[in-house]
Amino acid sequence: MSVKEKLKQVLIEDLNLEDVEPDEITDDMALFGEGLGLDSLDAVELVIIVQKHFGVEIKDMVESRPIFESINTLAAYIEANQP
Amino acid sequence: MSGNKQETSSVVKQRWTSRSLGSSWGHQSFYLLIRCGGQQAAYLLLYCVVFYYTLLPSIRRKCDHYLSRRFPAAGWWQRFWNCYRMNLSLGEVLVDRALVGILGAERVEVKLHGKQELMDLIAEGNGVILVNAHIGCWQVAASVLDFVDTPINLLIQREEGDIDRHHFEHSGKECPYRIIDPRGHLGGVLEMLQVLKRGEVLSVMGDRMLGNDKNGVDVSFMGGTVTFPFSAYKLASATGAPIVALLSYKVGPNSYAIKISQTIKVPENLGRGKEKFIPYAQEYAEILEEFCAEHPFQFFNFFEMWQNKSVDT
Repeated sequence: MSVKEKLKQVLIEDLNLEDVEPDEITDDMALFGEGLGLDSLDAVELVIIVQKHFGVEIKDMVESRPIFESINTLAAYIEANQP
Repeated sequence: MSGNKQETSSVVKQRWTSRSLGSSWGHQSFYLLIRCGGQQAAYLLLYCVVFYYTLLPSIRRKCDHYLSRRFPAAGWWQRFWNCYRMNLSLGEVLVDRALVGILGAERVEVKLHGKQELMDLIAEGNGVILVNAHIGCWQVAASVLDFVDTPINLLIQREEGDIDRHHFEHSGKECPYRIIDPRGHLGGVLEMLQVLKRGEVLSVMGDRMLGNDKNGVDVSFMGGTVTFPFSAYKLASATGAPIVALLSYKVGPNSYAIKISQTIKVPENLGRGKEKFIPYAQEYAEILEEFCAEHPFQFFNFFEMWQNKSVDT
């Protein structure tokens, strides 16, 4: 399973996204706002998910803002920082 | 379009403003009086200004949202007097805040209750979330937090064109705190998470929704329902940071007290649902209600925070 596929799956499971299937989440869909519809506090959950499921700690969250844009950006960050 | 509709937390719009009353020259007059005659001179002018404002029905209406709940049996004259006292309390706090900035922190005595508890919590290294409210004067109170050797970060929103000055701005000093703007990227959540992970102190307001924050829960407060933010409890759950309710209040003409009221324990990893955080927001509401019982004129929310009334949308 690719990082993107796993990411979509754990987002649905850990965020309890009801009525959303993994294939409905496109790689470039915005995670916050209009796209997937996450709200600002879900950023906290994303940080935890990335650490828990991929072993990647987001150390500088302010500098890392762009990685929270989409599955593409988040997956790219995970792949670049996985142990 | 307009119509009567029961308002819910998801559509609560910001109905308060932090923009100060009065003109720039009015504020400058107070600052000048403080420089020339100290606190007493400024207070003399304050009594007149507050009386004038209390005569205005629009000002009394703003006070009445809270006062009618705190003193439900008060008649007209008692309500007028209560309104005057509430406005005067706020005025004194603003004068004292300027006093500290202009003439120095030593002009006001601040007693801190719970210093050791706070230091112990900071030493645990998980960061500490201080939950404040619009009570007393947190800025005067914060002037005694200089023993804290870790940075203090404040989530505060400032209105465009606000002419009221923070205490450090009077002396031209650099802001002693790091400011996080709730109108920033993702409501400043990432910055808040960052400072807690570094073991720093984060101070947030527990009694108002800031910016475009939709992360509020409904809690019972003074016989009605209010929406309080739950971001602090969510952050505490995610990071393990303890939550400390911080109460500040004026206890004498030149003295304030700051009290570490109690620590709110939020279990780790509570997850996403907002309803999981209601008990902790409710716990804070009860702390505030107790504060209002003890210090009825030092609760400074001049807007309709209770939503169990029909409103036009």
